[in-house]
Amino acid sequence: MGKPSDLVQGTLDLLILKTVLLEPMHGWAIAKRIQQVSGEVLQVQQGSLYPALHRLEQQGWLRAKWDASETGRQAKFYTLTAAGRKQLEQEAANWNRLSAAINLIVQNG
Amino acid sequence: MQWLDRLTMRVRRLFHQDRETGLLDAELQFHLDQQIAENRLLGMEEREARLAALRSFGNPLVVRQQTHETWRWMGVERMLQDVRFALRQIARAPGFAVIAILILALGIGANNAVFTLTHALLLRNLPVARPEELVRLALEFPDDDARSKNVPLNLPFTEAIGSRARSFNGVFGWSVYDFVFKDGAEIHGIHGATVSGNTFEVLGLKPAAGRLLHAGDDRPGGGPDGWAAVISYRRWEENYNADPRVVGKHVTVTDHPVTIVGVAPEGFEGTLVAEHPDIYLPLEFDAALNGEEGLHAGMRLWLTTFARLKPGVNRRQAQAEMRVLLPGILDVVLPPQARHMPRAAQIQMDVDPASTGWSELRLQYTRPLLLLQLLVGAVLLICCANLSGLFLARASARQQEFAIRGALGAPRGRLVRQLLVESLLLAVPGAVLGVGLAWVAGPWILHALGNRQAETSLSARPDLAILAVTALCALLCAVLFGMAPAWTASRMSVEAGLRLNRRTSVGGAGVRRFFVPFQVALSLALVVVASLLGSTVVHLRTQDSGYKTKNVSFYIADFNRLPEKGDDLVAMYRRVAARLRTMPGVEDASVAEIPPLLGWQSWAVFEAAGAKTTSPTKEPNGSHVNRIGSRFLSAVGVPILLGRDLRDDVSDDGSCLLNQSGAAHFFPGESALGRSLRQTLNDPETFKETFTTCEVVGITGDSKYDSLHNDHPAIIYLPVTAQTEALSRLFFVIHGSSEQANSVAYKTALGEIAPASPETDPFQFQQQFNDSIAREQLLSVLSGFFAVLGLLLSAIGIYGLVAWTVNQRTMEIGLRMALGATKGRVFGLVMRQIAGVLVVGMIVGAVAAGFAAHGVRTFLYGVKAGNPWVFLGAAGLLGCFGLVAAAVPARKAVEIDPMVALRAE
Repeated sequence: MGKPSDLVQGTLDLLILKTVLLEPMHGWAIAKRIQQVSGEVLQVQQGSLYPALHRLEQQGWLRAKWDASETGRQAKFYTLTAAGRKQLEQEAANWNRLSAAINLIVQNG
Repeated sequence: MQWLDRLTMRVRRLFHQDRETGLLDAELQFHLDQQIAENRLLGMEEREARLAALRSFGNPLVVRQQTHETWRWMGVERMLQDVRFALRQIARAPGFAVIAILILALGIGANNAVFTLTHALLLRNLPVARPEELVRLALEFPDDDARSKNVPLNLPFTEAIGSRARSFNGVFGWSVYDFVFKDGAEIHGIHGATVSGNTFEVLGLKPAAGRLLHAGDDRPGGGPDGWAAVISYRRWEENYNADPRVVGKHVTVTDHPVTIVGVAPEGFEGTLVAEHPDIYLPLEFDAALNGEEGLHAGMRLWLTTFARLKPGVNRRQAQAEMRVLLPGILDVVLPPQARHMPRAAQIQMDVDPASTGWSELRLQYTRPLLLLQLLVGAVLLICCANLSGLFLARASARQQEFAIRGALGAPRGRLVRQLLVESLLLAVPGAVLGVGLAWVAGPWILHALGNRQAETSLSARPDLAILAVTALCALLCAVLFGMAPAWTASRMSVEAGLRLNRRTSVGGAGVRRFFVPFQVALSLALVVVASLLGSTVVHLRTQDSGYKTKNVSFYIADFNRLPEKGDDLVAMYRRVAARLRTMPGVEDASVAEIPPLLGWQSWAVFEAAGAKTTSPTKEPNGSHVNRIGSRFLSAVGVPILLGRDLRDDVSDDGSCLLNQSGAAHFFPGESALGRSLRQTLNDPETFKETFTTCEVVGITGDSKYDSLHNDHPAIIYLPVTAQTEALSRLFFVIHGSSEQANSVAYKTALGEIAPASPETDPFQFQQQFNDSIAREQLLSVLSGFFAVLGLLLSAIGIYGLVAWTVNQRTMEIGLRMALGATKGRVFGLVMRQIAGVLVVGMIVGAVAAGFAAHGVRTFLYGVKAGNPWVFLGAAGLLGCFGLVAAAVPARKAVEIDPMVALRAE
């Protein structure tokens, strides 16, 4: 079980940041949302979400807080910080550049 | 404040791991439970729902581990883990740790103590602006003699250089003095300096109070308010409680009115290391003390001269400029007669670096200190080699542990780091203890160096630079002795390690065999150096100096301010000496120009009268002379073998005494008694030669002259006459029943005959004798101590190696004994192996010792650096130590019970 490659890791970060942009969410909800939105295309193993979440928290892009979930049980909710918002913009821009470039090659090729 | 949040989070995760891990588990469990609940809603069975949830989640343990990894904070956590583990390892074998720490404390402490002195005397930069620009200007004469270099300049030189040289941003002279300081009713001696007016400006110093001296203060007669003076910060604090009102205070310095104008900055101790002046006066003050002619005399060389290089000018350029300027400067400075002597053409001006100031002590102590530094360096290496051996032994005992940890996935780098952390954990307390040791030992070494000036003025307290060097020492040690086991541990393959049992071993043997000969070699070099220095001291102590030193005291007379001069002064000395001889408890008393063995010399050019005029003596300066009163020789125990003593009478002014060496030198093969010697005198002003003759009225026994380190030279004893130089500062010598009685007698006689002259402290001849070999004594004691340390450490190393070998070969030995080998053969087997190691070490050591002995040859007296007996003796001693150390564990080999040994496998 190797570490996710840089591309995948970077993408996962982007997905997470984008997902929590709207509201504070706990890990399970984030995983669900990514799966739903991507139309089941992105088969991320749910567990690999957690190292990424903790790393983003460590970097100060997410802030975490224990709170009651919809079932009333305590869960850890993640919120986007101001720095995280900036990071999201940057990563989104990177992603757009990259995917545009790939599109260009794939379509013209 | 975001970084603060992040920091607290990391610290939290670092130190509250258990709690944080619990939270992580709760978070993951929540996820799984949510998924299970969802799966149940989709209609799965309980068991199926759980399995599906796990499938989509992945292995929770791995997730947990990977998440954990994201917490790692710059390896600090792993480091703490290593430290905790290392502490446990150390606690498991506290005896080992104590030995290691003690060995290190000795090694590091010795280095720290010696380095503290080296630093204080040689390395510490002056606390002035841009010290690296400072240079010292000194003359070098063409003689092949230590005294021909580092000759100070004088005021005319300093002024001529200052006005001509383009390389310097200021040139200043510095001279130290002992003054009598009088503030109101309080009167005491004070150590001071006279300095050029621009000195503080050139050094770039700021006053702590008031102002510093400037060029305007350095005028003949001083200012209208008396001489301006700056006092040291120390004196300001100690005597005036750092009161700024001290500025403007009127005091008296050696009978001259002086105004304190300011306080030197804190920490500034002058440019002459170890002098520590407490008062600075302008250079012109010298004229007030010694007369205006003295200050401007071209032939008197007394002023240490410094200069600051202009930015962008280096020392070599300055040196080149001085070479060009020197002839012109000599034209101005030297009187014409001297300028035209051939010697004057060969004078050179040296521009030496002075960022660390300058000290006469350096001439005497640089080499001994560097020697000590080398010795302690060798001791530290032995310590490291020894600890390396101990560590290897432990590492081989822990091989299985390493193998298991490797098998469980610990990377090799981690194992190596673990071992290095362990050695560091031993090195750090070792270093701390070592610093403590040095704190105690440093002042003691300084005391033992035998120079009272050095003792009082060199601070031997460690400072930041020294602590930094010590820390570096400790780090180096840790790496040095931790490296070998780490290297062997990391080289071992996991399977090999696991298959190992206690009795067989792979790595390490080669490395261990290297350390013991290394220690033996260094120890041999130490023992050889120690024996050479030791026998030097024995020679110096037991040789016949020609003197009897017990209960002999010298007192320097301070008759400068008495009205009597010339013949009257001579008569006065004779009266005091005669009175002293009548005192109770005094056996003999007399006067002399020079007390022996104090390093002072007086020269004169003599030849046998009637000999062909050009029979130049070997000595360029002539022969050693001393001017003495009647009974001086009997007071110091030199016998008169033929003829008679000098008489305290003008009628004897044309007589002299010769010692045996002198008689043999001037009148080889003839009787010297009754013959005449002719002295050539050079008038210092006109350089005209004049001659006087004296008749040899007695032949004395031989004795040393200025130092115990030279052989018995030819000595000519002349009577004290009105022409004697420095007539106001002759020495009284008293041989009495005790040193106490001498002082009482001196005080009484002086009070009766010359009550106006101050009393002075005596030099005790016995003490002088001891002090004059203190340097050798210290070197021999310390090197002896280091040699013993080296021997003991080597013995420990050998013991360890043999014990380890016997342990390794238990089965083999058991087998041999089962097959009929006798105990003697087994013993021989083990001892032969160690003897081989010893021989290798000694061969290498003999070469190292050869170099070391060559290096210390200038410290030796009465023993040659290549003395084979010293080498053989040292090798024999080391061999005995080694074999005894080996025999103890080798006996254990003999005790091996074959049955037990074989069954153990």
